[in-house]
Amino acid sequence: MGIRIEFFGVARQRTGTAFVLVPVEGTVALGVLLGQLAEQFPNWAAECLDGDRIRPSYIINVDGQRFVHDPREPIGDHTSLLIMSADAGG
Amino acid sequence: MSRHAFGSSNRSVVPGYHAQYLHVDLNRGTGSYMPLASDILRRFVGGSGLGTWLLLQHGRPTDDPLSPNAPLIFALSPLVGSPLTTSAKFAVVSKSPLTDRINDSLVSSGFAIAAKKCGCDALVLQGRAPEPSILVIDDGTVRLEPAGHLWGQTCGTTEQALLARFGQDFCAAVIGPAGERLVRFATVSHAGRHAGRGGSGAVLGSKNLKAILVRGTQRCTWAHPQQLVACARELSAKSLGSATAKYRELGTATNLLVFNRLHALPTRNFQQGSFPGVERLAPENLVETRHKTRASCVACTIGCEHIYGVKPDSQASGPQALGQRVRVEYENLFALGSLCGVSDPESVLTASKRCDELGLDTISAGGTIAFAMECVERGLLDAPWLTFGSGSALLHALDLIAARKGLGEALSQGSRRLAATLGPEAMAFAPHVKGLEIPGYEPRAMQTLALGLAVGTRGADHNRSGAAEIDFSERADRHRLTTDAAVLAVESEDRSALLDSLILCRFLRNALDDFHAQAAEMLRFVTGWDVTAAELRQTARRIVTSKKLYNIRAGWTPAEDRLPDRFLQQALPDDPQAQLTHEQLHAAIGAYNRARGWTDEGLLSDQLLQRLDLGEFRLAESVQLPQDGRTAD
Repeated sequence: MGIRIEFFGVARQRTGTAFVLVPVEGTVALGVLLGQLAEQFPNWAAECLDGDRIRPSYIINVDGQRFVHDPREPIGDHTSLLIMSADAGG
Repeated sequence: MSRHAFGSSNRSVVPGYHAQYLHVDLNRGTGSYMPLASDILRRFVGGSGLGTWLLLQHGRPTDDPLSPNAPLIFALSPLVGSPLTTSAKFAVVSKSPLTDRINDSLVSSGFAIAAKKCGCDALVLQGRAPEPSILVIDDGTVRLEPAGHLWGQTCGTTEQALLARFGQDFCAAVIGPAGERLVRFATVSHAGRHAGRGGSGAVLGSKNLKAILVRGTQRCTWAHPQQLVACARELSAKSLGSATAKYRELGTATNLLVFNRLHALPTRNFQQGSFPGVERLAPENLVETRHKTRASCVACTIGCEHIYGVKPDSQASGPQALGQRVRVEYENLFALGSLCGVSDPESVLTASKRCDELGLDTISAGGTIAFAMECVERGLLDAPWLTFGSGSALLHALDLIAARKGLGEALSQGSRRLAATLGPEAMAFAPHVKGLEIPGYEPRAMQTLALGLAVGTRGADHNRSGAAEIDFSERADRHRLTTDAAVLAVESEDRSALLDSLILCRFLRNALDDFHAQAAEMLRFVTGWDVTAAELRQTARRIVTSKKLYNIRAGWTPAEDRLPDRFLQQALPDDPQAQLTHEQLHAAIGAYNRARGWTDEGLLSDQLLQRLDLGEFRLAESVQLPQDGRTAD
C-alpha cells in the first residue's frame, strides 16, 4: 500500500492536495521521505522544510498517535503521516 | 462632569506607563485618577496581571458580580501604543457572573490605544449609572450620557451610531442586547471583536452602561526609543514568517480538519471526537463557495481575521437583513457547528454573526445549546424542537437566549446552572469547568490540556492554559495524562499569563525564539527597567497565583478543579484510546499544585505569597479552606 501522507492547513495549500500515497518497501527514514515529497512539491518544501527536517512551525504525526521530527525516524509501510501546523490552538 | 488628576508629583515616572488608573464612580458619573506605584507596575506589568491586582483592591471577592459595587476593569499595558506588532490589546477583568470566579478576557484594537491616551493604565468602573447610559471618557474628562434609543440595539449598530454621533476619533466598547439583559455569557464588543468569555458584557450591562467611548491625546514616553523601533521592525519581520502562516492564510478555522482527524473535535456535546459534516465547514472549502476578505487588528502585521460572506438573514431587520460578512474562527465553527451537530455552513455562519450582533460568547452559547440538545435527546428537557443538527433550532435558541424568553431564560444562565435544575444525570455531561463551557478541544484526546482546563482559574479555557501545544508535540502522550505533564502545563500557563499581561498576541508565540528573553528586552526598551527573563518567569507565577488568591477569597474549593464525569467515566466512543480516569486527573492536579508551590489541594501559604512578592495579601482567611467547601459544583 505504501505510506499515506496527509496535508493540513498551509501544507495542503502548498501541495494543492489533501493526501498522497508514497510507495515504499519495508521502512524508510523520515528525512528521505520528506526529500521525496520535496521533489514532488517544491512550494511545500520551501515553506515547510529546512533541509531534510520539518521546520519548527510544522509538526508530523504518525497514525494519529505520536509526533515525530527526527529525520532518522523509520517510517513503515501502511503508515499515515499527518503534516500540520505546530500551532495547535486558536 | 469631573476630572481629578493626582498631580504628577504624586506619580512615579515610568516610561511606557502613565502610572495611574482612572476610577469611575458610575453612581455619580465622576472619575478620579489614582496613582499606581512603579513596584506594582513592575510586579504585574499590565493587562491580565494589572487587572488582577486592581480587582484585588476594589470591591469584595464575595460580592455578586452583577452588583453595583463589583468592579469592572479595562487594563492596558506598557506596550500599548508602542510600535511592537500586535500590542494594541486590553484585558477586561472582573468577577464572572458565569463562574463566580475571576474572569479576564482579552480583546484587540484601537480602543486600547485610545484608552491609554486618556492618561491612564487602566479604567476601573464601579457603581451603577442611574439610567441606561454611555460612559464618555474624553482625554480623561468623564461624563455619562443617556443611551437613549441605542438600548436594545446590536453591537455593530451601536458602535456605528456612536462613532457617527461623537466622532470617528473616539473608540467604543459596547454591549449588545444580551449584555443589557444580563445573559451570563454576554460579551464586550469592540470593532467587531469581543472580550468573549465569562460574561463581562453582563457586568457592563449591570452597571447600566451600553458603551464606553474613549478618546485622548496623552502619550507615554519610551525609555529607549531607537532600540524599541529596531526591535519592533525585527518582530514585524518575524510575524510575517512561517510561524504565523497558518493565521495569515487560513486563520484559526484551519484547526477544524486537523482536530477532526485526531478525534479531538468536540461533536454533539462531546459525545464524539469527529464530525461527519466537517468538510462542509472547513475554511479550505468555505472559500470555494463564498467571498472572503482578510483584516487585521490595529497595529498588527499578522492579519489573522478571515471574513466570509453570509447570505441575507431573513430573521433580522435593518442592515442585518442585507448580505452580511462574518469573522470566522475555529471556536465559532466548533461551538455552533460540530458541537451542535450542525454541518450547514450558512446556518453556522449566520449563527456566528448572530452571536456577534447580540453580544454572545460563541463557545458558551454553543456549549449550552449543545448540552440542552442532549438533554432533549435523553428526555431530560421538554423542548422537542431543539435537536442536534438543526440550524434553525440553533438560531432560534440564540435569539431566545439574548431575549431571555421561554427556554432562553434557562439557557442564558449557562450549562452549569441549567444542569443544576435538571438533576445529577444532566450534571454528569454538562460541558463546563467552574461554570465556563469547555472550548473546542476534546479533553480525552488532549490530556495535558485536560489538566489545564481542570485547574484554570477562570474555568475551562484554552487560552489561559496553552497546553494544547504540548499535546500536539513530542513532549507528552496526548492520550495518557501523567504527573510529568504537570510541569509542562505550568510552563505553558505561565507563558500565557505573561503574554496576556504584556500584552502581545498569542499568535506570535512561536515566532519568538526565546520568548522570555525577548519579552524582557521589549520591556527594557519601553520602561528602562533592568528586567530579565528570570524576573518575567517569576512575574508570570505571581500573576497566576494572584488569580488563584482571588478565587480562594471568592469561595473557591478544591472540588472545583475537575472535569465533568463524562470525561472521566467513558472513553471517547470514536477513539477508545482517548480515555481519562478520575485517578489520573487527580494525581496530575496534585502534581500541578505542587509545581506551582501550592499545597496538594491547591491552597496557598504565607511563605509562598512572600516568596512571590505578594506579601500585601498575607491574610489568614485567604488561605483557609472553607469547612463545607468540598461539595461545590
